Amino acid sequence: MLSYVKWTIRIVVWTALFALGHYTLPQHDVVRVVNTYQERQDLGDWTRVFWAHPDDQAAGLVNRDVQFIQTVKKKTWLLGFYRTGGEEPMVYRNEDTGWSWPFYFKFDTANLQTEADDLRSTKEAPQWAVMTHYGWRNELWSVFPNAVAIRPVASPDVRVIPWFNIFFFVFLIVALLFIRAAWRQFRERTIDPMVDDAGENWDSVSQSVRERKGRIRRWLDTWRGK
Amino acid sequence: MFGFLRVLVIGFVVLSVVYFSVSLYSRSVRREKLEDQWDEDNPESDDSTARDAYVEQGMKEYDRSIRPKLILLVYVIPAILATILMVVIN
Repeated sequence: MLSYVKWTIRIVVWTALFALGHYTLPQHDVVRVVNTYQERQDLGDWTRVFWAHPDDQAAGLVNRDVQFIQTVKKKTWLLGFYRTGGEEPMVYRNEDTGWSWPFYFKFDTANLQTEADDLRSTKEAPQWAVMTHYGWRNELWSVFPNAVAIRPVASPDVRVIPWFNIFFFVFLIVALLFIRAAWRQFRERTIDPMVDDAGENWDSVSQSVRERKGRIRRWLDTWRGK
Repeated sequence: MFGFLRVLVIGFVVLSVVYFSVSLYSRSVRREKLEDQWDEDNPESDDSTARDAYVEQGMKEYDRSIRPKLILLVYVIPAILATILMVVIN
């Protein structure tokens, strides 16, 4: 029973961490820009969490204009590591993240939109580009990944090395190792001596209790029939 | 502007927690090393006053050394990284 609870909690926590990382960390798509547009978006319901907070005034707005980049994207599989062949439509929103989460410090939305417009191409004469983005696309809830950067590439078979994610996970491992080392040091130098002390106190307490019991027992014994 | 201040304040608080954790850890490791060093050099001695004096002297030298000052990099490096990120993204 307890192990079910433990496993459920573990699975939920790890899934949540994976989802957080998958949503927030940058990913790269090979795309061909088809068009860009701007559309008024309502921000009143819970899907607000999937839109950015470009500046302080944006927090109070119930709707505002958002820029979008329409692309045709090379299909991938397994977090984008494997190209499956084929193409699919992908629409990115293009919003400042400003000083808020996730911390991309993106302020160049207008420039990015210009770059995307500049890279527009047709099916017959495609100009491929690598789009850096974070976030998810969900048609049901009208959720769009946020475009962060775009750069033209000569061929769609470009190999993108995710430097940021490599550094991020190396740093994460180092941080976790430090926390473990610090915790062990703290336990060894601070908690264990305290527990030892408490243990000694407890020993002396139980010793005196035993002595007293012994005395009472002896006293009781004096009343027993001889 | 308010957003910038918020990032600054929250970042400062978080990094301060990190700074104090790293400082405490580093001091604790150094103290343990000094104690072990004393025990190795004086295996027979149980003069705890001399041992304490040795350890305190070592900790004073540690405080004067560059090591505790290097921990201030905990504030500097994230600021530099954030600045680089801003330049690269925009």
